[in-house]
Order: sequence, then structure tokens, then C-alpha cells
Amino acid sequence: MEDSTVDAPPAAPGAMEYDYTNFYFGSGSDAFALLEPFDDWWREVRPSGYYLYELPMHSQPGTRVDVEDTKTGEIRRGLVNFASYNYLGLSYRPEVKQAIKDAADVYGGGSSGSPILSGTTALHQQLADEVAAFKGKEAALIFPTGYSANVGTIAGLMRSGDLIVADQFAHASVVDGMILSKAKSRFFRHNRVDDLERKIKGFDGKKLVIIEGVYSMDGDVPPLADIVEVCRKYGARLMIDEAHSAFVYGETGKGVVEDQGLDDEVDIHLGTFSKSLGGQGGYTAGSLQLINYLRGFSRSRVFSCALSPVVVAGILKALELARNEPELRTQLWDNVAYMQKLLSDAGVPMGDSTSQVIPIMVRDDTRVLQMCEDVFREGVYINPVRYPAVGKHKSRFRMSISAAHSKEELEEGSAAIVRVLQRYGVCP
Amino acid sequence: MSVGSYRFQSGVSAFFEMATADARAVLPEHLEPIEVTHQRSVLSVTAFLFDDSVVGPYTELMFSVIVPPMVAEWGQHAKAGFFPFLAATSSAEARRIKSERFHFPYHPEDIDAQFIETDERLRVRVFGGGDPIMDLRVTPGAWKTTTHLLQGFMMNGDQRLRTTLQISGDYTVHENEQGEMKLFPHSMTASHFLGEVSESPFREHWFKNGTETFHKLEAF
Repeated sequence: MEDSTVDAPPAAPGAMEYDYTNFYFGSGSDAFALLEPFDDWWREVRPSGYYLYELPMHSQPGTRVDVEDTKTGEIRRGLVNFASYNYLGLSYRPEVKQAIKDAADVYGGGSSGSPILSGTTALHQQLADEVAAFKGKEAALIFPTGYSANVGTIAGLMRSGDLIVADQFAHASVVDGMILSKAKSRFFRHNRVDDLERKIKGFDGKKLVIIEGVYSMDGDVPPLADIVEVCRKYGARLMIDEAHSAFVYGETGKGVVEDQGLDDEVDIHLGTFSKSLGGQGGYTAGSLQLINYLRGFSRSRVFSCALSPVVVAGILKALELARNEPELRTQLWDNVAYMQKLLSDAGVPMGDSTSQVIPIMVRDDTRVLQMCEDVFREGVYINPVRYPAVGKHKSRFRMSISAAHSKEELEEGSAAIVRVLQRYGVCP
Repeated sequence: MSVGSYRFQSGVSAFFEMATADARAVLPEHLEPIEVTHQRSVLSVTAFLFDDSVVGPYTELMFSVIVPPMVAEWGQHAKAGFFPFLAATSSAEARRIKSERFHFPYHPEDIDAQFIETDERLRVRVFGGGDPIMDLRVTPGAWKTTTHLLQGFMMNGDQRLRTTLQISGDYTVHENEQGEMKLFPHSMTASHFLGEVSESPFREHWFKNGTETFHKLEAF
């Protein structure tokens, strides 16, 4: 081969070969330097599937939804919904709606203040007390979002010079809390207790281990007993984020900690109200000393406006329903088992999920959006997940099952998904 | 303007986590490492079996830290940037040419690299002076034909340099953590690895039957 001298500029690969991570850094001294190349790329890839993100919904997040197709301008009605977190179907229950209306009459729309100043209403205090009681802990602290619960708890407790070790699949809010805390941060291989031990042993100082109850992209649960053992062996505190598992796992719904019989072995319990309870916000529960300390040092809570009392009223009613209707959890797990059987019988790859979060493994980073668009047009609303939210070659649809889904909806939805996967050769 | 094309039979680039503090230690001040997670940067271990070039067939091994590419405009946009801090080849002539043109930091002695390929994996064994340096295995995902634009960053004394590198060929990538790497104690690598590098690559790239083309070296 000759030593060539070619004048042509290098040929750029197709736009779909790129993703958000390719636009994180740019040349030049202008803070807006990346905006134009990103915008050019975005205009090119949006019609090819990126438009599927942030589609406006025109209905409540029920088991069937009306969703605006921004590519065609149509509103697609009655889609089987596997995209919402509404695991117990509580967000639109008539009792919840009525509680919200009643609270609006008393409190108006917003809380109009930080929780440490004027933003705490009697409803907020009641919710904190009821969450603590539900979780069986001394106290709980309410945050405006689940994100801020993680950030505020981690950065509120840990300091420069401390060590935080988290599962590599921990949520972005865990990672951001670790960064804000300025502690030394390490990540252990997903659910690998041997790697956790390797990362934690030998460190002399304050240590915090962070795991999740159900991992949001894979739907699997942690080996809690083994993790507790490592934490005790090395004197580390253990924090669990039960965003996707609180109110659905365990006999009374306390979460994976109850399901695995290790409730009292975990030091810090986090969760959200936006998943199973269909509301918004997050909480941290634990000892009274822990909560009192975090009340003063969780900046994400101190410097945010408190949750709207209207939302709090809805959460309180949803919590009451979750507590008083254990049959909702039974129905959810029946639905999960039924959907797993439907997909399994069709040869659909589902990873290691054992929960209501079922990843449908497409493993084609380029075509996952196209497949999802086809599923959308077949009458099913489901979210595509691709790099960087998951690893390369680990693209998937993330399916959320609800107790409210009927058998017919599960069958109709799974059949549509299987038809599309078969067309693309993902399943037989 | 292209100043060098190299046709390859096989190529591998495996990404490993390394401590950001270790990555910064080998980077010049004007480059920042990309972090794959907080405080964890990316070591790229690249090996190529070139079957046609200006110096004929030869093999090459390169250790780089992954850094941000410098985006100027969409269309000429590199997907990733890399700063090679240690390279080695089986050909003194290839070393001379690439050192002069691209200022890659070459180990002064020849290496011997064996590429052992099956359908399930590519194994690269590298030796120097008869002693093992590295044993790397990667596995495939789905294959497709594609082109990658990358930016290489180099130093010539105090001069900051960069080039665009185009790799075209059959390609597979995944993050299934099925590969592995063993680094052996060797004089070539002894002074370059200051901390812990993971044994399992979090991302495995495998190229076949393609071309690597370097474009004009620029000072910036």
C-alpha cells in the first residue's frame, strides 16, 4: 500500500452512530460552541427515533393512554401503556383525585416556601410520620423529588476523606450525591459482593455502601444478606434506594429489605412517591438521630421549595390505599408472572429481571429506536433505552407492569411487541 | 490531507477503568480524562495486526487515555479522543515513520504480537524480548461495517498536536464484560502504570478487514 496523500476530509459516519456522549466536550472558548453541532446532529436523528422521547401524553398514566405522535402530529389513542411507573395504579384512583381536590380547596397550589421555613404544612408533617410508621422507622424526611432525596442524603452525611462504594448500576442521583459529597467514590460490579469487598477493605475511615432495591434498568434485586455481611465485617453503613421496590415488595410492602428479612440490618432507607404511589417526591427513613442530622445538612431539601400540599394529599391517600389493599400487590405479582410467561413462551430475552420492571433485551443500539417506533404504531407505549443510559450493545425496551393491567391488555401488548421483535429477528 | 493509510486484518480496542488521578498523571495539562464513572477514567488498550502499509505487515500495541474529542462542527465530529502514552511495534521502520509524523511515544524495542482468532474471541498475546507483556481477550457482539472518526492528541516537546484518525471496516462493540486482560511485569510497562487497572474491559471493540487512515497533524 502506498503512502497516500488524500485531500478529501475524513468521511463522517452516520448520525445514528452518535449519541449524547459525543457532544459533551467541544473546541473553542465560547460556552455555546457545542450548541450548533449538537443542534445539527439532533435535527438529523430526531425523525429516526429520538422523537420518541418526551412524547406529550394527553391522558392520565393509566393502562391505556393517549400519546401525541410528534412525527405525524396525530394523537394515538388507547395505547397499551408499559411506560409509566404507576405500579399499583394509584395515581388516578378516584379517592386520590378527591383528596387532591380537597387539599387544593384548603391549601391552594403550592407550598410557597422551603420545608425548613414556611413550606411545611400539617399534611407534610403527617406524611413524614406516616412514612416512618409504614417503614417501621423512628423518623422520615420528605424531599421534593427522589433525585433530591439521594443527593441530599448522601452529600448531607458524607465528607471529603470518607469512602462511598456504590453498585455500578446505581441511579444518577446516587452518583451526583457522591460527587457533591466530595468523598472518595468507588463502584463495585453489579451485584458482585466479592468486588464490593475488594473495594471496601483496607480503607480506614467512614464508609457508606449504596445499593438499590430493584435496579431500574435491569429489574433485578441485590443479594442483600451477603452485602449486609460485608458491611458489618468492615464497619460500613448501608443505604438502600427502594425507589422501585418500596410499597410493592415484602408482605406489608416495606420493600426488598422486608422481602429478604433484613429490614433492621440496613441503616438508611430511601424511596420515592412517584413510582408505586403515583405521586411525586422522595423520602429518607431511619433513626431519629439520622433524620434530625439530615434535616440540617441536606441542602437539596433545605434550598428547595417543599412539595405542593396538593401532591402530598394525593400521596397520603395513595399510601393509605397501598397499606389497606394488600391485594394490589398480589395482583401486581400475578401480572408480572403472567407477562414473564407470555414473553418467555415467545422466546423474548428478558435478562435477569425478577420484578415488575422487565427489560426486553434488543441489543441493537442502532435499530432499537426504529423497533420502538414500530411497537408504538402497533398500539403499545413503551420506552426505548440505549447507550449511555445502559451499556453499549445492551439496548432494550423497559417494560413497567402495573397491578391495574388486565390480562387482555398484557396479552395484547405482549403480542404486539413479539410481532415487532420477530420482524427484526430478536426472537424466534 | 491524508498522510498515512494502514490496512489491517484484525484490531482490538479494549476499555478499562483506571483511577482518574492515575490518568491525569500521564496526560499533559491541557487534556482532561473522560470519566466513565465518578473518579474513574478510561484506559484504552489497542492492538492492530496490519497486513499492508508503507513498511509492509507489522503489529502494534498502544496504551492511551480516552479524552474528549474537540467538536468543531457536525460532520467532522470525532466520536472519541485519545492520548497515547505508550506504544510499541514489531517494526523499527514503522516506529520511525510514526514517531516522526505523529510523535507517538514508542518503546524503543521490537515487540512480538500474536493474534489468535476464533468465532468466539480474539486473543492478543504480546511479548518483548521473549518475555510476556500482555495477554488480552475480547469477544464479539453483532458485526456491522462502519467508519469511526477519532482524534489523537500528541505532544512534541511543548507543542500540542492533534490528528484525525479514520477507521473503516467490519466492527463489533459491546459492554458484556466477557473479555479479560493480564499485564505481566515487564520493563516496557513498568514505569507507566501507577495504580490499579481493572482486569475486565467494560467495553470491547473488535475490528476486522479494514483501513486506518491518519489525517493531517495540526498544532493547536
